[in-house]
Amino acid sequence: MNDRTENLLLALPGLLLLALAFLLPIGQMLALSISGPDGPTLDHFVRFLSDPYYLGVLWRTVRLSFLITLICGAIGFPLAYIMTKVGPRLRLWLVVMVILPLMTSVVVRTFGWMVLLSRSGLIPQMLRDFDLVGRNFALMQTEIAIVVGMVQVLLPFMTLSILGVLTRIDGRLEEAARTMGCSFLQTVRTVVLPLALPGIVAGSLLCFTLSASSFVTPNLLGGSRIQVLAASIYRSVTSAPDWPFAAAQAVILFVGILLVLLPYIKLTGGKNG
Amino acid sequence: MAEVRLQTIRKSFNKTAVLHGISLDIRSGEFISLLGASGCGKTTLLRIVAGLEGVTEGRVEIDGRDVTSLAPEKRDIAMMFQSYALLPHLSVAENVRFPLRMRGIGNRDEQAEKVRAALETVQLGHLAERKPRQLSGGQQQRVALARAIVSNPKVLLLDEPLSNLDARLREDMQVELIEIHRRLALTTIFVTHDQEEALSLSDRIVLLNAGRIEQQGTPDEIYNQPATSFASNFIGSANLVPAEIVDGPQGPVARLGDGQELALATGETARGTATLAIRQEDLSLTTSGAGPAAKIRTRVFLGARNRYVMTLAGETLRALTPNDVVLADGAEVRLTVEPARIRVIRG
Amino acid sequence: MVKAVPFWLRVLAGVFLAFTALLLLAPLVVVVGVSVSESQFIAFPPNGLSLRWYSQVLSSNAYLNAGWISLQIALLVTVLATLIGGAAAIAIHRRQLPFSELWATVFLSPLVLPTIIYAIGMLMFWSAAFGPVNPVVLALSHTVIALPYVVRTTLAVLSESNPYLEEAARTMGANRLQRLWFVVVPQCVPGLAAGAFFAFNISFDEAVLSLFLRGPNLTTLPVQIYGQLEFSPDPSVAAVSTIMIALTIALIVIIDRMLGLTKFASA
Repeated sequence: MNDRTENLLLALPGLLLLALAFLLPIGQMLALSISGPDGPTLDHFVRFLSDPYYLGVLWRTVRLSFLITLICGAIGFPLAYIMTKVGPRLRLWLVVMVILPLMTSVVVRTFGWMVLLSRSGLIPQMLRDFDLVGRNFALMQTEIAIVVGMVQVLLPFMTLSILGVLTRIDGRLEEAARTMGCSFLQTVRTVVLPLALPGIVAGSLLCFTLSASSFVTPNLLGGSRIQVLAASIYRSVTSAPDWPFAAAQAVILFVGILLVLLPYIKLTGGKNG
Repeated sequence: MAEVRLQTIRKSFNKTAVLHGISLDIRSGEFISLLGASGCGKTTLLRIVAGLEGVTEGRVEIDGRDVTSLAPEKRDIAMMFQSYALLPHLSVAENVRFPLRMRGIGNRDEQAEKVRAALETVQLGHLAERKPRQLSGGQQQRVALARAIVSNPKVLLLDEPLSNLDARLREDMQVELIEIHRRLALTTIFVTHDQEEALSLSDRIVLLNAGRIEQQGTPDEIYNQPATSFASNFIGSANLVPAEIVDGPQGPVARLGDGQELALATGETARGTATLAIRQEDLSLTTSGAGPAAKIRTRVFLGARNRYVMTLAGETLRALTPNDVVLADGAEVRLTVEPARIRVIRG
Repeated sequence: MVKAVPFWLRVLAGVFLAFTALLLLAPLVVVVGVSVSESQFIAFPPNGLSLRWYSQVLSSNAYLNAGWISLQIALLVTVLATLIGGAAAIAIHRRQLPFSELWATVFLSPLVLPTIIYAIGMLMFWSAAFGPVNPVVLALSHTVIALPYVVRTTLAVLSESNPYLEEAARTMGANRLQRLWFVVVPQCVPGLAAGAFFAFNISFDEAVLSLFLRGPNLTTLPVQIYGQLEFSPDPSVAAVSTIMIALTIALIVIIDRMLGLTKFASA
């Protein structure tokens, strides 16, 4: 046995698993998306892209994902930055604060929001009590509910992405900037933010991808009236089974995400997976 | 204990040749240093002896047996790495026992006894149960040494093992290495870029330059009779001054670029263009008297000594003087050198 | 730090942290609150205090079955992902395979692909090729999405280990198997452990694959909860959810004890 044989043997189970249970299924799905009763066809794509309803679903997906990513970045960056600056004890608690939701099932977290946002829930109740909204005000089954729920689901991903980069920044750079006359905020803007950019970009892409492809939270908080692409795919698989159409929608989602990811992958030479 | 024979070893990485046919015989029990700057191929040569690197051409023999294509684990050698390469999950004692365990030497009790003896040798018996990361750099280094000698290997290979230690510890370890080598008489190949280390430890020094053997000999020979300008510059970082050797009234003299002259030993036979190798400590500086005139550029205070950097005939020279010789920057000084201390290198 | 940051900014940071904590933890607190409510209906703040919903959960066959299935699958996934991913990471780390740079990307690719796309691919492939899904298929698909985590954590610890250990072991007479078992695998242990925790957590909480690949006898806990939420949520859902949160907390405590949470979070 030589080195190459040994390493091939080590990698083999993983390669087999990925080939049989990952690449093959995805290939199968790609094939199904162009399958029709009389051979290959693009009908399913045409049907999706020419129907205003589905175009609306697509637009909502993009719009909401963008908004969710933006909010996650706006909260995630300061949160991660504060985490690098506080003492070890507080940092540990902040890590718990981020990890605990991350490691709790999405279903459970969404349930929490359902309780909080429902008609008689705490948040609408409080808004009504302060006379900020009318008596018929509702949050459930609105886009706001989806955004709030998804921000909570995805904020940990964004925070950890940025945190990973921030912890690797040499703290002396900030001290150096201060000795060169930068105020605290100037230092953050001219030193920390540019250096954290790779983390912010990676976190944003992750958030956008996960947001565009999730359906559990949007389904439960947005209801059947406010559909996003992933929820529409799920419906095409389960309630109104049309698998080739579901596959075509999945391909559209996949291509859309690739279009967002590709410039980044090119930029980093594909090193960050 | 065994002899090692290297025959015309050539080694290329991706068509870049790093060793150009090295032949070397190492006697049983000899302590030999491979000395050279980084990139000269010394570590590659050591790794070839270990079997961690194959040869492009040539032959490696240990104890008369051809081991050129033998795997390192079958060579009965021990190697100490620059980074020590202690297994972090094993205790000190388990680290030292590792080669015995892998080679199946002795039963558990015998192994324990050997481990104890090896740790005693490096004076670390009391730290046997610690993990490597709980030790200082010097202690880790001793563990690595104990681990290298515990299996009584045929050849002990040391890859710059002292370079990560601070100056004081390095001196202590040098003494320890000498004593251990004297006691165990292991055939030892020591790789270093530090000429002082090589001079103080070795029976023989092999000076490598760009994949070739530049010179080999005892530390005394290497230091006092450098054969090439590279050797004299590398060992003792001598000043190299181009000169023309001509016959003067009282014997041969070296004429420098600006016409000034330096007397050479009467027995010097070389004539014509040559390079003078003059050690820094052999130059004496006086404000008056005979000898070529040079101009002081900078004084570097070294504590016990002063180093003067000066210009002579357009060349930069360095001289080490006692610290009571104090000269101002820009001062003109006269240089004197014992003629016998000047080495003339032809060409 | 203390003197370098203006006071008003420190106050602002405090307010910000409180807001973030509320945003991140409120849903969990609410779930726990609802679970101990006495009321028939889901209400927060809870009315009264009772553990009746817990006893209802513990006597519900649907929940117990789902929990048992989830646990079995999660354990199987943990073992499979750790073994397969760890071995692959070792091979990738040595960079001796052809196209060595490519392999890390291949093994991390399930991370980039949205789970929903993989889920429908898996469903369609399996139904077309073999018919109805079974627990092993679900476990395999969970293994695929957990694999990148194990590969990544193991690669991370390997990249920090001394690159000369294997060579040193060779000079000490260790053969191929001995080097793997006595030198390489022990270096991987912290990464393998972190990856194993990830794998268990991912599988146990996973909802998307489990929803697509569910069957009459194949309902995991998250799927069971999802079903309840879509149709008729009552406080028993909160009780199950609270049990899941408690499990997560237990997992976090174990991780912190074994590996250090701060380090784990940056993996």
